[in-house]
Amino acid sequence: MINDFQQHIIKVENAAKAWLQPDNLKLKEAIDKTVHEGLFSFEDIKFQIRALKQNIDSGQIAEWAKRAGLSGLKNSIGKKVLCLHAGNLPLVGFQDALGTILSGADYYGKLSKKDPHLLSSFLEQLKEADLENEISYSIELKTFTNLEADKLLFAGSESSIKSVRKAIDQIQGVKPDGEWVIRKAKFSIAYIDSEEPRVIEDLVEAVFRYGGRGCRSVAIVVSPTRFSKLKCHFQDYVEAFWLKNPQHKKPKEILAYQFAYNKAIEREQAWMNDFLIQETEELPELDFTLHWVEGDHQKVKELKKKYGNAVQTVYTTGKKIEEIETEFLSMAQRPSLWWKPDGVSII
Amino acid sequence: MIVPFSKDSFWKKALWVFNWQKKNNPVYSRFCEALGIDNIQSIEDIPLLPIQAFKDTKVITGEKLPDLYFESSGTSGMQRSRHYVTDPEIYQQSIIEGMNHFYNLDEFVIWAYTPGYHSNPHSSLIWMLNTLIERDESGLSKFLEIGKPINQHELKKIKQSGKRLMLFGAAFGLLDLLELGNPEIPNDSIIMETGGMKTFKREISKEKLHQQLADGFRLPKQNIHSEYGMTELLSQAYSLQGEWFECVPWMQVSIRNPENPMEVLPKGEEGLIGVIDLANIHSCSFILTGDKGILGDEGKFKVLGRWNPQNLRGCNFLIDQD
Repeated sequence: MINDFQQHIIKVENAAKAWLQPDNLKLKEAIDKTVHEGLFSFEDIKFQIRALKQNIDSGQIAEWAKRAGLSGLKNSIGKKVLCLHAGNLPLVGFQDALGTILSGADYYGKLSKKDPHLLSSFLEQLKEADLENEISYSIELKTFTNLEADKLLFAGSESSIKSVRKAIDQIQGVKPDGEWVIRKAKFSIAYIDSEEPRVIEDLVEAVFRYGGRGCRSVAIVVSPTRFSKLKCHFQDYVEAFWLKNPQHKKPKEILAYQFAYNKAIEREQAWMNDFLIQETEELPELDFTLHWVEGDHQKVKELKKKYGNAVQTVYTTGKKIEEIETEFLSMAQRPSLWWKPDGVSII
Repeated sequence: MIVPFSKDSFWKKALWVFNWQKKNNPVYSRFCEALGIDNIQSIEDIPLLPIQAFKDTKVITGEKLPDLYFESSGTSGMQRSRHYVTDPEIYQQSIIEGMNHFYNLDEFVIWAYTPGYHSNPHSSLIWMLNTLIERDESGLSKFLEIGKPINQHELKKIKQSGKRLMLFGAAFGLLDLLELGNPEIPNDSIIMETGGMKTFKREISKEKLHQQLADGFRLPKQNIHSEYGMTELLSQAYSLQGEWFECVPWMQVSIRNPENPMEVLPKGEEGLIGVIDLANIHSCSFILTGDKGILGDEGKFKVLGRWNPQNLRGCNFLIDQD
């Protein structure tokens, strides 16, 4: 049994590696379709795939299984897990799908209509890997009618949870006593105390990749330096980033409204074509915005406490901040496979 | 005079106020300039200033900072809205004329049960209730003592005076009052609920609240009315039946697209409540609230709670989109 499960891990790893081969036609086709349909930019997809390839080539699948203590005795074989995948970033559901399948559980994935091709090409690869667990996916929720899963994974907010619960109850997608794992983190915070090119490059990547979407993206910067002092310097880096990675989605008119509001109240800000940087401590509610706050470690702790579970991660450029967990800023968009959404391990 | 040109249409008055405030209110002026708005063709073209401005800055039309201001309630350390009131008489008239638009105020004795509000010396609600209480010459109108049940003897006095009772209070204040005792109030009384359905401790739907108030006060449900007002507005809207609010003649509501507040949404579509309140002549009359609502017939509107923008960012599985 133990050896069987080791075989399972190896099969998953081999399938993932095969999927990421440059000559994999299925993946290439999925990328082409995604770009052709205007769902994500080619640059963002390539970035995501490159990050996954680096992690998987460095043996992170086996390492993840080891960290989770997976074995023939400890696994999720026989459990049904229903994953509702969001579609705000390319392959945002990859980690949930991989983690579920790696654990030995039966995977049922409701793919997002906004990202239907990429994850399905990976799942098809896994299906061919002769795994014993069930792998089933669809973009229609009703496919999972009467599934009665043991566990449900999804990312939501207070207002969306209600409608998801209703829809899941209607189709009896989860057992009445099933486990609901709901992620509520919305954004991350970075503490920046250096103006070194490497740091600013990492920050730009952490803020502007995927148009700032995703809970690992930085939406609040805390820095001892006021934004007005860094403004020109920072803008050069952003423009350089956009030359290589044109922003795919454009902001709604509300951003221009916010710009006008900032003018009205004389708030320091920078309007950068499709992105707004503003000096404020307010909750970053709008897409395509970065909030810049002048402050020290204490301010970071204060904001983390204030925004509670809306904060995914606090990044630093090296030095730790006492009493809170931090990650390296350079890892913001390249997390290890075992990173914990909302601080909770997937496996 | 609450409205300077009483013979003109609302649009003409609004246009005049827009030009006046664009010229004399520095905050609104910068707002319009940044949006590139100078001349407007219709009332819908008037930009609505986000209500947050009353927290972030001083919103005044004119040069002098008046002594009187209203401030929203909140816990210490919380950012509060501050509304400077240059001409208190306008607010006074707006309150009285506004209520008289829907009720005959002379028929009523006003009682107010407002626990928590007295700790805020700048509460606009307390100022409003004071105005209503002071104008009643019968001497029967008053603030009820906090923590004390309604006195039957005093109810009798109202009956004897030939007047009706209008009892004001925020949602949980009124429910707390009911817990102090089950008063037998005259069945032509009006309960005027002033909002506050969601506090940091408790939450109740409007429908449930009205039912509980009707049951508790032993009144028909149609006698439970609501007021929609806020620190940042000098006018109020009232709902006399159900959940649909009606504005006073110098106030107008539109529903705006949260992703583009310059766009007015059609009847029945949910969005942000936008208010034009001409009584705000000395501050800003064009306000985008943080409330969610829908528009019904004849300019009536329904309040659906606070707009929750957290769907707009982060990973979020949306059943109708993903």
